[in-house]
Amino acid sequence: MKKISIDPITRLEGHGKIEIFLNDQGDVENAYFQVPELRGFEVFCLGRPVEELPRIVPRICGV
Amino acid sequence: MGKLKFALYWGAACGGCDVAVVDTHEKLLDIVAAADILFWPVAMDFKYHDVEEMADQHIDICLFNGAVRNSENEHIAHLLRQKSKVMVAFGACAQLGGIPGLANEKRGKEILDYVYHGSPSTISPKEVYPQEVVSVSGVELKLPRFYETVMALDQVVEVDYYVPGCPPESARILEVVQAIVTGNLPPKGSVVGALDKALCDTCPRKREEKKVKAFYRPHEILFDLERCFLEQGLICLGPATRGGCSDPPRCIRSNMPCRGCYGPPPDVTDQGVKMMSAIGSIIDSQDPEKIEQIIHGIADPLGTFYRFGLPASALRKKRFL
Amino acid sequence: MDRFEPRIIGFYCNWSSQTGVDGAGVEGASYPSNLRLIRVMCSGSIDPEVVIEAFKRGADGVLILGCHLGNCHYRNGNYNTLRRIRLLQKTLEQFGLEKERLRLEWVSVAEGKRFACLVNEMTEELRKLGPFKQLA
Repeated sequence: MKKISIDPITRLEGHGKIEIFLNDQGDVENAYFQVPELRGFEVFCLGRPVEELPRIVPRICGV
Repeated sequence: MGKLKFALYWGAACGGCDVAVVDTHEKLLDIVAAADILFWPVAMDFKYHDVEEMADQHIDICLFNGAVRNSENEHIAHLLRQKSKVMVAFGACAQLGGIPGLANEKRGKEILDYVYHGSPSTISPKEVYPQEVVSVSGVELKLPRFYETVMALDQVVEVDYYVPGCPPESARILEVVQAIVTGNLPPKGSVVGALDKALCDTCPRKREEKKVKAFYRPHEILFDLERCFLEQGLICLGPATRGGCSDPPRCIRSNMPCRGCYGPPPDVTDQGVKMMSAIGSIIDSQDPEKIEQIIHGIADPLGTFYRFGLPASALRKKRFL
Repeated sequence: MDRFEPRIIGFYCNWSSQTGVDGAGVEGASYPSNLRLIRVMCSGSIDPEVVIEAFKRGADGVLILGCHLGNCHYRNGNYNTLRRIRLLQKTLEQFGLEKERLRLEWVSVAEGKRFACLVNEMTEELRKLGPFKQLA
């Protein structure tokens, strides 16, 4: 089975890759989109003083 | 001599550093006139295999922003180091670990558990977690390994220069590019695009005497708009932060105390501990109980003193055994 | 099985606490060799960074000794110690440092026995807590 990898995906914010699998006829049999990143803001923001959140969460996405 | 060859890449990043480059606005055209950009995921379609196919040291300057927090970040850091003559840790995350570095206070497993299963907005009855390798319909899919520790760039590859800031100010970026293009860089290992003194030296606020009888959270006082924040009991990391972000510093001008994003001043490795020292020396009390009370007024000392620099600090990472 | 022996780094100042520490020997009050002593001129000169470094290099506990408040040889040095070390303790608590591991004590010239006592006490507490491994 032939595989086409698009890695990384571009012209947007964030990491991502696309794996496309072609069958013997050259048609797309399966395609998968994966996000190979995780930073954990959901966890390390917990317990912080509320006034710090406007300084921390803009760093989720700077775009 | 042909045009310089640049690459810009991001590890565990938010895109803000790349936007800071784009925010040079029309001057971006000057950058592009002087340099060919061979790899820049936010703006151009080059792929990893394009970089892999380059000869070693083909890239003149690589601006790497974002922290190193998984095996892909580390792999590409090594790849770009191999293919670049000069590697620049661009922005607070690459220089120090940055905001993602706050995750070093937590267990890796705690993060995975909460994000993929435990958070209120996640519905995952089968408790599926991302795997490094998974077989699906007869094919194998791979994901990078999530590291327990967030790292700064120089903890995985040799770094030639550091451009501090979260993000670096666009005007400073232009100065750095100018220095690169004219061959006017200081010795390797230097911090560029910032001053060699603390932020306080560039602060326009009035300073009288640093004797603090209490620390306040912003909702607890109405503060004077002209006077030094620290003197009024609002924690400002100015004394332990490198100056030069802008003149006057943008946060100060917007009535926000400095949060330390430009990293430690020259000759200081651990920004947090130096700030602790500074705070300790301005507390105005000789009564142990009162001192206790004053210190108690500092909410979240770890997050306050080490907001941007935990991975690069002496503390680095909390171990869970 | 060998009993765990904690390693305690002790910073003591050149004035009251030095005489106090020496006094333990003079008074015949013994303290365990778990404590390794490092002399400084004033407890106020101990940078919190040095304390963190001691833990990183394997110390299971750090003890800081200075003159009693009001008796600092340099007048105000020990107030600085108090403020900085208390703030350091508060920050390191978020990192999992138990309060028994970082102690700040004032020792006067006549307190040799008391010094020996507190070292014994700290050693015993740290034996129970086990090795400190919270810093990467």
